[in-house]
Amino acid sequence: MNPNPDSLPPPAAHPGAVDAGSQALAEALRSSFAVVRFVMVILVAVFLGSGFFIVGPEEKGIKLRFGKPVGEGDRALLGPGLHWSFPYPIDEVIRVPITELQSLRSTVGWYAVTPEQELAGTEPDAPPGTPLNPAVDSYVLTADGNIAHSRATLHYRFDDPLRCVFGFTGGTNGDFTLAGVSNAVLNTLNNALLQAAAQFTVDQMLTRDVVGFQEAVRRHFVQLAQARNLGITVEQCEVQSRPPRQLKQAFDDVINAGLRRSKVLNDAISTANQVTNRASSEAAARVNGALAARTRYVETVGAEAKRFEDLQTQFARNPDLYIQQRLVETMSRVLTNVQEKIHLPERADGRPRELRLLLNREPVTPKTQPASP
Amino acid sequence: MKRNSLTVAIGALLILIFALLLFVFQVRQSEVAVVTTFGDPKRNIDAPGPYLKWPWPIQRVYKFDQRIQTFEDKFTEGLTADNNNLLTMVYVGWRIVDAKTFFPKFAGGSVPAAERMLEGLLSNAKGAVVGRYDLSAFVNADPEQLKFDEIEREIQAMVEAQLRTNDCGIKIEFLGIKKLGLPESVTQTVFERMTSERQVLVSRLQNEGEAQAEKIRATANRQAAEMLAAAEAEATRIRGQGEARAAELLPVFEKNAALANFELRLQAIEQSLKERSTLIFDERTPPFDLFQGYLTNRNSK
Repeated sequence: MNPNPDSLPPPAAHPGAVDAGSQALAEALRSSFAVVRFVMVILVAVFLGSGFFIVGPEEKGIKLRFGKPVGEGDRALLGPGLHWSFPYPIDEVIRVPITELQSLRSTVGWYAVTPEQELAGTEPDAPPGTPLNPAVDSYVLTADGNIAHSRATLHYRFDDPLRCVFGFTGGTNGDFTLAGVSNAVLNTLNNALLQAAAQFTVDQMLTRDVVGFQEAVRRHFVQLAQARNLGITVEQCEVQSRPPRQLKQAFDDVINAGLRRSKVLNDAISTANQVTNRASSEAAARVNGALAARTRYVETVGAEAKRFEDLQTQFARNPDLYIQQRLVETMSRVLTNVQEKIHLPERADGRPRELRLLLNREPVTPKTQPASP
Repeated sequence: MKRNSLTVAIGALLILIFALLLFVFQVRQSEVAVVTTFGDPKRNIDAPGPYLKWPWPIQRVYKFDQRIQTFEDKFTEGLTADNNNLLTMVYVGWRIVDAKTFFPKFAGGSVPAAERMLEGLLSNAKGAVVGRYDLSAFVNADPEQLKFDEIEREIQAMVEAQLRTNDCGIKIEFLGIKKLGLPESVTQTVFERMTSERQVLVSRLQNEGEAQAEKIRATANRQAAEMLAAAEAEATRIRGQGEARAAELLPVFEKNAALANFELRLQAIEQSLKERSTLIFDERTPPFDLFQGYLTNRNSK
């Protein structure tokens, strides 16, 4: 396969001394050499040309030189396009499907739900009194030994793609995918969810400290991910929790009781406001009344005093006449107002008359008087 | 001669490539390998790079994926130290570190065989560790008493110890509890307890609300009473002021007490006889005293 060109007789070395036979042989050899040379050039060209490769969209290429990736971190990743490497066995190219942002949802802690129910947002029926079958419905145990459903959705990106690709395997066939690291992330997420739930009571998880619980899941996950060097960064971690469906009524009752409580409180507050408002207006009215009364009283007394001073001068002129005059004047005014006036003339003998009165304030309906004869 | 030397160079290159393909093999970053000579595992390779070997059938290379693979055991029931039934599921991240040990141990380096062995080790370790802890070590609001991490570490340590004694060429990278559960019949009891807890909460909310509302109303009533009392006091003070000011005018009346007295009495008469009154009088009452002297009874007098 490997002819040595040096051992060949130099062609046309002795012109004139060549016979026709050897010339024909040389001719044949030369043409076959040309073919061999051509084939060799093609082989080398094919060998070098086989180094070209294309990286498709939504995947990255990694060049391995003698088994080790060329470049560090993100620079080891070749983007979509045409690239060249030395052919095997020097270089080797592996392609990894990588998308920017990854999402995962924990697989423990939630009741069994079909994709249709998930889309419709409904939940499978579970009448009160049915136990939870651990083979079907999953749940988490809370710090107070209760049962709750909870699931975490994690959004993350690959921070160290080389670690992700060369650190974890997805199957037994030695593929280069991110399925392996995703599996490790998923298990770690489940683990973190359990750990966090083990520290929170069912009330904290569901109502009182929802955000705290979410933070705890995230914290546990980040801790574990770092310890295990998963090579990812967490973008977001959402946690959803529910009471067991069997106890929906009981949990709703608590919520309703809370609502009723705030209603009772609001009613009390509005009543209180009414009472204090009424009292304050009443108080203002009393003070104002007193002010008015004071003014009126002082004015009246002042006017009286003034009038008295005027009267005094009249009185001083002739007291008797004044008294008589005033008395009569007053009596006449009074008598016009008096409803019944009874004049009791003095008896001739000067003894007082006896008078009998039927005291009845209510006016007696006058009876039709019989015609007096 | 020039063209010939080029041919030689190309030929040499082709030989070189052929030899490379025959005598050299690569181990990737993701792999460990073992080289067997006539079937006997001799060389262990645990770093990536190019390596030399004799061509088949003298030497053969077996490569293994050395990356971490995750394996989880079954969801099994075990008794805790305080006799609670607890279902646990553990996952483990393991990898092959020593191909030379791993290869002969599991019929040609079969990963499923290794997983079967791991499963056995895991369930032993899990059972032993779970039995040493109370249920309250698995779930507890008090971080001091919660031993979740410790339990995981202990299971891992136990599995690692067993792997070391067995010498399998496997390393455990991480281990954790993936799922916890209670037996189906126990969930019913838990639900009953939770229901009664809810009822306690409901009644507490009710009573608390009513008590608080009562307090709010009582406070308001007290405030109202205070306001009114203060206003009353103020009103009295104001009226007192008025009386004091009026009293300043009294000396005017004192100047002529007889007249003042007379005027007061007149006023009193006028006030008292204002409405619906009956007046009985004789001739001595002015102005009817006029009747006395001049009219009817003149003679009798």
